[in-house]
Amino acid sequence: MKRPGKIAASVSSNGHRSKPSRKAADKILEAPSRFYGIPLPGVKIEELSGTLIVIEGTDGSGRSTQISLLTEWLESQGFAVQTMGLRRSYLVGEDIDALLAENAVTRTTLALMYSTDFFDQLERRILPALRSGLIVLADRYIFTLIARAVVRGIGRDYLHGMYEMALRPDLTFWLDVKPEIAFDREFKKAHTISYWESGRDMSLSNDLFQSFIRYQSMIRREFEYLSKRHGFIELDGEGGVAQVNRVLRKRIASHLGIRSTHYQPSHALSHLWR
Amino acid sequence: MASATTDIPAAIEPSASRSVTPKRQYPGALVVVEGIDGSGKSTQLYLLKRWLEIGGYRIHFTEWNSSPLVRSATRRGKQRRLLTPATFSLLHAADFADRCERQILPLLHGGYLVLADRYVYTAFARDAARGCSPHWLRNLYSFAPIPDITFYFRAPLDVAVNRIVAGRPKLKYYEAGMDLGISLDRAESFRIFQERILNNYDQMIDTDNFVLMDGTVQVNKLQKQMRQIVGERIELAQFAPTKKK
Repeated sequence: MKRPGKIAASVSSNGHRSKPSRKAADKILEAPSRFYGIPLPGVKIEELSGTLIVIEGTDGSGRSTQISLLTEWLESQGFAVQTMGLRRSYLVGEDIDALLAENAVTRTTLALMYSTDFFDQLERRILPALRSGLIVLADRYIFTLIARAVVRGIGRDYLHGMYEMALRPDLTFWLDVKPEIAFDREFKKAHTISYWESGRDMSLSNDLFQSFIRYQSMIRREFEYLSKRHGFIELDGEGGVAQVNRVLRKRIASHLGIRSTHYQPSHALSHLWR
Repeated sequence: MASATTDIPAAIEPSASRSVTPKRQYPGALVVVEGIDGSGKSTQLYLLKRWLEIGGYRIHFTEWNSSPLVRSATRRGKQRRLLTPATFSLLHAADFADRCERQILPLLHGGYLVLADRYVYTAFARDAARGCSPHWLRNLYSFAPIPDITFYFRAPLDVAVNRIVAGRPKLKYYEAGMDLGISLDRAESFRIFQERILNNYDQMIDTDNFVLMDGTVQVNKLQKQMRQIVGERIELAQFAPTKKK
C-alpha cells in the first residue's frame, strides 16, 4: 500500500500525475488519467501505489546503463525496483526472438506480438509490482513499439487504440542521440549492425550505414511527435553517463520526494561510470 | 464497490468506417461462416468447399487459429493458464494478422475465392464475452478485409451445447470460459459463456450484414440454401477453371 521510503504526504499527491504542466485541469481526479483510454479489465487504479518510470531511446542511447545505475541508487535509498523491457514476457518473449530471426514475419503480426508481450508483462509483472508500491523502471515502453510500427506504415490511430489499455507512466525520459552517434556506439559494442536496428526489412538502402541512419532518423522523427503528445522529458543522450545520470536522479528524486541525489556507483558498477 | 471483473460490455458497436462496405480493391472474394460451437457452420462450409472443389473453382480454405506462428505461445499460455482477456485476444489477433497478411490478402489479390471458417466476428463475440472492450476489438482487427458474405449459423443454445458436450469427453479450460470464474462446473461455465457469445453474435446480424442460417434445418437442405446464396451473390464464373485453348 505505502510507497517505501515515502517522505511527505504532499509529494504523494504529486506522485501519480503524469503531466505536471497541467496542474489545475487535472485536479478533479487523477485516477482515470493513469490509462490512455479504457482501463484493463479488473484493474483498480487506486490500488496502484507504485511509480512507473520509463526510459526511452534507440539502441546506443545508454538506456540499459542508466537503468542499472538508477536501480542501484533507488535501492540504496530504500526503494524496491522492478524492471521491464521488450521481449521479456514469459508468454511470447522467445517466440518474438524466433520470429525476428526468421525475417518472415509481417508488420501487423509483429506489432500484435509485441503488444501481447507488452500486456503480458504489464498484467502479470508491472501491475502487481505497482500494487506493492514498487518503482518500475521500464527499459523502453509502448512508444518504441508505436514508433517502429508507424515508420512501417501502420496507422497511428490504430496503434494508439491498441495501447489504450496501457498504463500511463509517471515519468517518461527520452535519451535522444543522433543516429550517427548511435551507430558509433552500437558498432563499438557488437562490431556489426543488426538487421532490425538498421531497418533492413524496409529496403531503405543496400548500404547498411545509410540504411541504419535513414531508419533511425525516421524513428527519431516519430519520437519528436510522441514527445510532444505525451510530454516526454528529453535528455541529451550524447552527454557522459555520469552527467545524464545526475539529471535523471534529480527529476526522479523530486518526483519521489527523495532529498539527497548524491550517488556514487558501487565497485560492481563503477565500470559504467564513464 | 463495483467489481470490474463482471462488467461485460453489452453491445458490439461497429465503428463508423466499417458499416459501409468499401469498394473491394482485389479481384477475389471472401466467404465467411460464423456461429457458436455446435451451430453446424463447419460442416456447412466443408460441404460448400467440396461443391466448389469438385467444380474445379479457384478456392482456398482457411480456418481460425491454425497458424504455426503463435502455436507454441498459445499452448504455453493455455497449459499454464497465463492468458488474461487482453493477452488471449492479442495472441489470437496476431495469429489472425499472420494468416491475413500472408494468406488471405495475397489470395484475394490473386483472384481466389477464399472460404474462412470463423473470422474477426469470432473475436468480437468471444473476446467481448471475456470483458474486452468492443471498441478496442474493432480497432484491433480493422486491417481485416470485409467479407463478401458472412453466413451466421444460429442454433438454439441447448441444441448447440448438447452437440458439443455429447461429442467431447472433456471441455477445455478456456473453451469453457473457466478463466472468467463464472462457475466451477465446466459444463455450466461453457453454457453461460456460449450464451454470452450467442448474444454478442445476434447483435451483429444487422450491423455487419450477416446472412442468418437456421442451424436446425436438415444438413442437405441447409447446404442447398447456402449454395444458392453463394451463386446469387458471387460471380462464380470468375473463379471457374480456365478453359483450355
